[in-house]
Amino acid sequence: MSAADFKDGLIAEIPNLRAFAASLSGSMQLADDLVQDTLLKAWGNAEKFQPGTSLRAWLFTILRNTYYSLYRKRGREVQDSEGTYADRLATHGNQESHLDLADFRKALAKLPEEQREVLIMVGATGLSYEETAEICGVAIGTIKSRVNRARAKLAELLSIGGVDDLGPDHRITAAVQRAGPETVGS
Amino acid sequence: MNLMNADPPEAARAEPDDEMALDPRVQESIGRSLKAHYDELVNAPVPDRFLVLLAQLEDTERRLKAEGGADERG
Repeated sequence: MSAADFKDGLIAEIPNLRAFAASLSGSMQLADDLVQDTLLKAWGNAEKFQPGTSLRAWLFTILRNTYYSLYRKRGREVQDSEGTYADRLATHGNQESHLDLADFRKALAKLPEEQREVLIMVGATGLSYEETAEICGVAIGTIKSRVNRARAKLAELLSIGGVDDLGPDHRITAAVQRAGPETVGS
Repeated sequence: MNLMNADPPEAARAEPDDEMALDPRVQESIGRSLKAHYDELVNAPVPDRFLVLLAQLEDTERRLKAEGGADERG
């Protein structure tokens, strides 16, 4: 892969890297620093990328490792002083979906990191369970159970408002109790 | 990807309990919100700093290669 092709590949992945970094760190400012570090590391280690494999998965691995080794603590500090990006992010679209999304983001921010990151990777980025497992360095079964716990926790957090549209409260409550918020098996 | 064939027993045991956990409508709603959250971030304008950074890195590499080539020839 030529340097120009590699560079084009990196540019194409920047929006996804920013979205994942913001979801992980809870801060857009921190997300951009994290993406910059990720791009620098990727450029410096370009020869380690195997053409034909997923560039997104490779970059997410770098970004995630960088986050956990350098940014996690800063993320909490920034959130404490400035609030999460969810409070400030400019939103487009109609008012109703804006409100729903704001509620959802607050709930998402309350998930344990290990659940939030896999839910985002599997549910929004187009990465497979296999790729997600590889990025996180755990088994696919662990990813599946984290995703299920994350969904159950979100349903629990969001059941305060809006769940009437979805179904009877008792079904959700029962489902959440079955899944158990603290049944951490791994 | 072949590394992932063997799930540890604890993870395999954890699955069936979690599998039935949620009403499909709730799952669907969470899935939609998740996409809405992520897509809005993906569609946000990308700051110029990243393109500037990559252009600088590319320039530096070109220059180093050019100098390296000159050294070899000289």
